[in-house]
Order: sequence, then C-alpha cells, then structure tokens
Amino acid sequence: MGKGGKAKGKGKDGKGGKGKGKVKGGGKGKKGGGKGGGKKGGGKKGGAAKVVIEPHRHEGAFVSKGKDDSLVTRNLVPGESVYGEKRLVAESADGEDKIEYRVWNPFRSKLGAGIVGGIGACPVKPGAKVLYLGGASGTTVSHVSDMVGPEGVVYAVEFSHRSGRDLTNMAKRRPNVVPIVEDARQPQRYRMLIGMVDCIFSDVAQPDQARIVTHNASFFLKNNGWVMISIKANCVDSTAAPEAVFASEIDKLRKDGVKPKEQLTLEPYHRDHALVVGIYRASKKKKEE
Amino acid sequence: MLLLLETPAGYALFTVKNKKLLKADADSIFENFKSVTDASRQVGLTAFHKFEDTKAAMEACTELTESSVGKSLKKFLKKNVVDAGLADSLTVLDKQLGININKKLGIEVSVMSDNLREIMRGVRLHLTELIEGLDEQEVRTMSLGLAHTLSRFKLKFSPDKVDTMIIQAVGLLDDLDKELNNFAMRLREWYGWHFPEMGKIITENLAYAKVVRLMGLKTKAKETDFSEVNVPEEIAAEVKQAAETSMGTEITDEDLGNIKTLSERVIELTEYRASLSEYLKLRMTAIAPNLTFMVGELVGARLISQAGSLMSLAKHPSSTVQILGAEKALFRALKTKKQTPKYGLIYHASLVGQSAPALKGKISRVLAAKLSLCCRVDALGDQVEPTLGEEFKEYVERRLATLEEGGMKSLSKGISRPTAGKHQKKPSVRGSGAAHSAEDDVVEAPKKRKAKAVEAEAEEEAEEAPAPKKKKKKKVVEEEAE
Ligand SMILES: C[S@@+](CC[C@H](N)C(=O)[O-])C[C@H]1O[C@@H](n2cnc3c(N)ncnc32)[C@H](O)[C@@H]1O
Repeated sequence: MGKGGKAKGKGKDGKGGKGKGKVKGGGKGKKGGGKGGGKKGGGKKGGAAKVVIEPHRHEGAFVSKGKDDSLVTRNLVPGESVYGEKRLVAESADGEDKIEYRVWNPFRSKLGAGIVGGIGACPVKPGAKVLYLGGASGTTVSHVSDMVGPEGVVYAVEFSHRSGRDLTNMAKRRPNVVPIVEDARQPQRYRMLIGMVDCIFSDVAQPDQARIVTHNASFFLKNNGWVMISIKANCVDSTAAPEAVFASEIDKLRKDGVKPKEQLTLEPYHRDHALVVGIYRASKKKKEE
Repeated sequence: MLLLLETPAGYALFTVKNKKLLKADADSIFENFKSVTDASRQVGLTAFHKFEDTKAAMEACTELTESSVGKSLKKFLKKNVVDAGLADSLTVLDKQLGININKKLGIEVSVMSDNLREIMRGVRLHLTELIEGLDEQEVRTMSLGLAHTLSRFKLKFSPDKVDTMIIQAVGLLDDLDKELNNFAMRLREWYGWHFPEMGKIITENLAYAKVVRLMGLKTKAKETDFSEVNVPEEIAAEVKQAAETSMGTEITDEDLGNIKTLSERVIELTEYRASLSEYLKLRMTAIAPNLTFMVGELVGARLISQAGSLMSLAKHPSSTVQILGAEKALFRALKTKKQTPKYGLIYHASLVGQSAPALKGKISRVLAAKLSLCCRVDALGDQVEPTLGEEFKEYVERRLATLEEGGMKSLSKGISRPTAGKHQKKPSVRGSGAAHSAEDDVVEAPKKRKAKAVEAEAEEEAEEAPAPKKKKKKKVVEEEAE
C-alpha cells in the first residue's frame, strides 16, 4: 500500500534534480524511457540505468527493481505494447538474450492492484487455463496472457461490441487468448469453445456478478479450481457500506460452493473495490493440493 | 443415459456406463472423474462427429449459440440415437436446445439435475482424452480459430452498427457546434479590433464571416457589393456608414490574411455542419421515423445516443425517457430527497419548447409517454412512414392546446386510449411527502425495462388514467409535472 503516494513524490523529485543513481531519482513515468535510453546511450547514470528484473512472489509476474519498483510481466509478443504501456528490456542472467517486459499499472487493473497489494495466492500463473469474465478492451487480459504464457490459455468473455473489437484485435497477436463476444450470463452460448479451466477471474461490474461467476463455474471450473472476483461495491449496492456489500457478496459465493480464502481491498488503486479469492468445491481431504 | 457435448472439433455423444452415478450424492460424483481411466469407467464415447472444416464448425456453433438444431446436429442425432435405436434419454447443457431436439427428433431429453451437471463437468474435464483420435493441441487450435471467426462475424453484423453511425454523427455535431462557436467568437474578437462596430450590426456568425472574407479591410466597405453574400440592403448600408466613422485600429495585410483564413474556416465548418446535419436527418428518418417525426432528428439522435442504442431506448420506460440526459440532477435529487427533474434531453423538443413554462413538465411527460411507444415501433416494427408519430404529435399538440386553454380539465379523448378520458384526473393537487414517493416512482422505473409494447400501453394507462390504487403515484407524477 502507500506505494502510489510514494511514487508520486518521487516523480516530482526526479524532475528537479536529475537521477542521483540508486533508488532516489526518477519518477514512475520516466523509468522505462530513462532505462532504455541509458542502455543505448552509454548509461551516464551508471548502475541505475540498468534494468533489473526479479521474479515476483507470484509466478508469472515480475518486479522491475531500481528507482522504484514496478510490476511487470514478460511480454509474450516482444516489440509490441497493447495499450501504450511502457516496455523494458532486460538481459537474461547469462547476458546473452534480451527479454522484454511490459509495465503493469495497478491503477488500471484490478488484478494488477491485487498482486501489488500483496494477495496471498494467485492462481493466474504459467500454464494455467483462465476464464476471464469482463475482458473489456483487454488491458488486463493481455497481462494475464503474459502470465500464463504459451502453455496456458485465457478465455476472455466480453459482451460489449465496442470493447469486444479491441479485445479481438489484441487477441490476434496472442495465440493464448481466446476472445469471446458473448454475455457471461449465458455460458451455454460459448460452451463449445471452452474446456475445463483452473481459474475464473471476474470483473464484470454487475450487481449479479456472484451468480454469473458461480453459473460459469458450474460449467467450466474444476473442483478445487480458483475463483477470483473483483467486486465494486458501488455496482452491487450504492447505498450500503462497501464492507457490508463485500460480506454479502462473499456469502452468496459461499452458498454456491465457493470457499472464500482471502479478501483484499484494492485501495489506494481502486476505491471501494475488493478482490476476493476462493476455491470452488474444495474437497475436504485434499485441501493441500 | 446419453450425454451430448459439443467441442470445437465436433459433436460427441457419451453413454453413462456407471448407472450408480445418477443416484449418487452429487458432491461425490466428481471424485469418480479424477483421471482419464477413472472417467472412462464411468462413461463411454458412443459417437463422435467431426466437423469437416472451419466453415462447418462455424455454422454448427452459430446454430448452437442460437439453441437451434442445425442440419449437422440433426443428422448426427438421427443416425446415432434414433436410427441406432437408443431409447435412453439425452442430456443437453442448453435447455432450449433440449426442447428443440425433443420437438424435432422426438428424442426424450432429460431435465438437468445436479447429478447430471456434475457428470457433464467430469466428462468435460477429460473431453479430449475420452474422444479417440482427438488431439488436445488440435482442439486448442480449433477453438482459437473458431472463437476468432465467431467474434469477427458477430462484430461485423453488430446490430448496433446503424445506431453507432447516428451516435457518432450527433456527437460530432455537438463538437462542431462548440468549435464553431469558439471560432466565430475568436473571429469577432480579432476582427473587432479593426472594425468593432460591425459586430453589433451583423449578429449572425456565418454572415459575419462571409462579410469579413468579402470585404477585408473596412476601408473597402464602400466599394463592396454585399448582396453577393446575401446581406440585406439596409444592413449593408449600415455597415458602410459605420465603416466611415469606425474607431477601430489599423491592421496590416498580414493580419488581415490571417483573419481571413479564420473566416474561411468558419464558413467551411458551417457548411460542413449543414451537410452533417442533413446526413443525420436522413439516417434518423430511416431508422427511427416516428421518433424523428415527434422530436426532430437532433433530439431523437441525442436520446438514442444517451440510451446507447435505439433498442435500449425502446426498452426504457417512458418515465426514464422523460428524464434521459438529466441523470445527474435525478441522482442528486434522489440523494437529497428533493424533487426529481421533470425533463432531460426532451426539453429541447419543440413541443416542449413551445409550451408555457408552467406546462413544460406536464407536456414532457405526455411527450415521453408517446415517444417511448414510438421508439418501440421504430426499433421492433418495420414501418417506414411515421404514421404513429403523426398521430401522436397531433395528440400532444391538442393536449397542449387544451392545457393552455385553461385548464387541467378533462381531455375528451386520447387517441390511442379512448377510455382514458373517463378516468382523467381533476386539477392536480399539490401533495405532501412527495419526495419519498417520487423516489419510489423513479427508482422503480428501470426494473420495467423489459416492457414490451403491450406493457407500455398499460404503463401509459397508469400514467394517464390512474386506477384508484395508483392514486398516490399519480399525485406524484402530477406534482413532478407542475
Ligand atoms: C470494469 S470493466 C473490466 C476491466 C478489465 N478487467 C480490465 O481491468 O481491463 C467491466 C467489463 O465487463 C463487461 N461486462 C459487463 N457485464 C458483462 C456480462 N454480463 N458479460 C460479459 N461482459 C460483461 C463490460 O462491458 C466491461 O467492459
């Protein structure tokens, strides 16, 4: 938490006195450019200009270290940004290959905010099959696609034709994204496209989201599969207190076989939002699995 | 028990071998499908039909999404169930498809139960392994290809497409108006240094710009023939006179050049705006003739734009149509328990505009009621002539006339509702405690979205001819209108 605030402060610093190296100078926005430039232009700033990428606690995500940390994912389609996000190039450990990463702004993504905010378990990981409800234009979907990698699949469902267009376009370049322009309330309409999945991520911003998710789960989610839901309190009930809304949503999920594991508020990135993670039809004996 | 499962590669028909599953505890069923070997003990593949090519797959899937029994599915089921003499009942994931299969082929389709759902999940888990000759990777590629084809197809034939043209056009029109106004103001300001008096004489922006372009420096006023730009003689004379005594400053040719360029821009934009507005009018009369007839293309297009599409506008109840565009005021009013707004975009319709201020609210309600009927006919019917619109416009006009005449006395006969007159209310009473019930009234509205034309009429009746039990509501509506 609190990172957002800090980053801003730093940004201001960076503009004034130029990078003193190390952790201080350079705002968020400058980082990508600064580093990339440093590399090609002979790196006046010395060590600080080098991109250092470390794996995040959650597999599939990475952190770019340096002036200030930011969340990145390994770009599945090097050389291309999806929505104008910054790209960083780092050298692999042996210094041979160049690996490209895309910066993931938690202010623009619920999942990104969840990961930065320190969520305990993240079922979106390399090789996973993910059903993503409410894909919108595919900004977050593209990062999920990075995370699951070539072995995984993201089925992205979005019903707005306007967003569906962007989503489908994005998916053209990413063979692990299956775009589906349908209403998530009617999973039978896309049942033939989807096999069983390991995880459902939902961000449809609808009052009946809990039902939408469990309905989809009953079609496509494995037992012991994961459910991740971003709940916007306002969307469910704008009069009740957010906490109460979250609690009642979790209750609805529980009734339909989702065992809630964790609830995380997405402050300061998204106001009155919570990310809820749970396990579907958890079998009692093999909980460890 | 037979199971029908659809994959991107083809249809698969399974038989449940382990009959115990059907009676077992639903929660334990999935346990029996842990591995492929487990699963193959529970169910067996009875038949599989592979789609010949992407085109066939695409066709089949489109039919499946529509829940209709397409040719290939029919053939498949006929061959493998009916002709094979299988009397078992069939389980289908899509209820509507099940009904249609039963109708077309007479196959008994079982009702979805928890157990069946679990079995289906179990089969899906190992779907590719259970179907011989199907490769996981192959299915993946096929589903990807199919998904792209389907969504491309879908987006191409997006039903909102025509509406989008209108929404974009009206949006651009608004942008243009704003820009035009800015430019024209700038032109007046700029040229005003040179010839301040002209601003007062020629008030119309386009004429102003044309005069600037034609005349240039004010010293040329004398020899300029203003009739070229359709400026009436007396105004031309006035300009000439003012030019003689003007107290504006001198400007250079370079200054003038730039001012002229700006005036050209203003003229161009105005012309462009006119052609855009013509285009909008054509489009609007084509897709929503009745709506356009009632309120004109501009207000009509804004209403559609606000609702997102003509179809969604048609789904709105008239009380929502009435205040569409005034959402901010509405929610503020609801929050603070003040009176809700009486009109939104509809305010700019000439029917509302021409009525006396005290009647504006009432008329917008009447108009909204008719408008929502018009939208429904436009969206769902295939009328090209605004017959309904004509009828309704006349009705609203008459209604307005009656109201203006004095009164809130009963209106003899509504056109679409001959009996309405009987129940017409006496002059409205200013009720108390309105805020609360007003809220009920408005909050209720969106729930009725599904209203079909029939319901719409009922709704209208409710508004115009309140049955006794609706009295309270009526009172509120009246008051809103006051
Ligand atoms: C808050 S946005 C998702 C943003 C996205 N997750 C991201 O971070 O980039 C919600 C999206 O869900 C879509 N949506 C809402 N209801 C839906 C439904 N019933 N089925 C499919 N998509 C839906 C909306 O069109 C909207 O694009």
